[in-house]
Amino acid sequence: MTNAVPSPATAAVAALPATRWRTRDILVTAIIGVVFGVAFVALNTAWSVIAPASAVAPLGAFLIYGGWLVPAVLAPLIVRKRGAALFAELVAAGVSSLLVSPWGPDVLLSGFVQGMAAELVFALTLYRNWSLPVIAIAAIASAAAAWIHDWAVYYADIAIDVQIARGVAMAVSAVVIVALGSIALVRALRRAGVLEGFPA
Amino acid sequence: MLTAPDLDRRQLESLLGRTSPVVKLGLALAWLIGLATTLRAGPPIGLALVALAAGRWLGNVPPRRLGRGLAPLAVAALSIALANLLFSGSNSSPAATEIARLGPLRITQEAAMAALALGARVMAIVSVGAIFAQTTDPTRLVDSLVQQVRISPRFAYGALAAYQAVPRLAEDLATLRQARRIRGLASTWHPRLLVGLLVRAIRHADQLALAMDARAFDSGPRSTFRPIRWTWRDLAVGAGGRVILGVALR
Repeated sequence: MTNAVPSPATAAVAALPATRWRTRDILVTAIIGVVFGVAFVALNTAWSVIAPASAVAPLGAFLIYGGWLVPAVLAPLIVRKRGAALFAELVAAGVSSLLVSPWGPDVLLSGFVQGMAAELVFALTLYRNWSLPVIAIAAIASAAAAWIHDWAVYYADIAIDVQIARGVAMAVSAVVIVALGSIALVRALRRAGVLEGFPA
Repeated sequence: MLTAPDLDRRQLESLLGRTSPVVKLGLALAWLIGLATTLRAGPPIGLALVALAAGRWLGNVPPRRLGRGLAPLAVAALSIALANLLFSGSNSSPAATEIARLGPLRITQEAAMAALALGARVMAIVSVGAIFAQTTDPTRLVDSLVQQVRISPRFAYGALAAYQAVPRLAEDLATLRQARRIRGLASTWHPRLLVGLLVRAIRHADQLALAMDARAFDSGPRSTFRPIRWTWRDLAVGAGGRVILGVALR
């Protein structure tokens, strides 16, 4: 169902300032974080299997990296509030660390830098521009933050050319999985009718 | 494994269990940052052993449970070590000592040392994380964040309410997969499952929000149901952990 003319309810929601969070915004953002925190368990397992193998077929594993960054873009895309990227990614990280992730407390640090980077991009648009380029830039910013963080914590000794290749793979993953994936998810969720009353 | 670890009374009433969660959290992050400053293998190995010993004797974490939790994580440590071994910057340096050659790849002693250190770093981080998760009740963590760090209660308790949905989400996922199987579709992972799961999760979040609003969730001054106070344990664990980090990094 496509609506060319926004219904009065949608227009009223769109007029809400990005700073005022309704309880519904908080809960929906948080549950997106929780769903992905749970999904990270599967992703962590996949990573453990792929990562050693990718030492042979270099860097393949980094193509799934975007999976960890989706909440930082999907949640703000739906609720369009200040702080949604950071909040969703932190909840996802927190859930994942409570479910005993292989990255322990570092999940929280990763979640913070990843969510913060996407948040900054949305803040620069004053939470008003939700076009594909902005979403893609936010996704890449999030991946860039993760790239630097992982460089310092996990890949401190790796040669610079491999670091760059790793970064490129992560950026590709961010655009495909995070940006395009989030847009596809929002479209599917809207079609399912659960986004009534949200600006998305 | 889609459920949080079950913590029994002995874990929750141990010294670490009764320490303020934010102290443990702060310490875990301090150790993490400290670990990131060194490329020697000694400090992470030492800190990992201290963390595991503290979990065993100060946190009453059953060794069997700890072992089960840590086993898959060793794979993560191994993969990080392997990546650093194969792609180390020192492998291309002529000054480094060659110890092996794998086709076009030259493996040097310097790379092997760094790989060992980074693998150990992952093990240390993971051990700290496992001990934290095994001695911390999520509700107490949120209470502590609200009362001791002054995080906004709306966001903190909103997140906690959403977190309580984890078992329900696991059930939803099982139902969705069964539904696919009945329709003759492969029961393996498919993006449609994620959409279905998000639909159910968002509906649940809507109901929760409505229920919480109906009970005047944070629409006025709050009282505290489970007060958390700073105790000597917080000082002892915080200071002790900080000293151990300092010693390990020397």
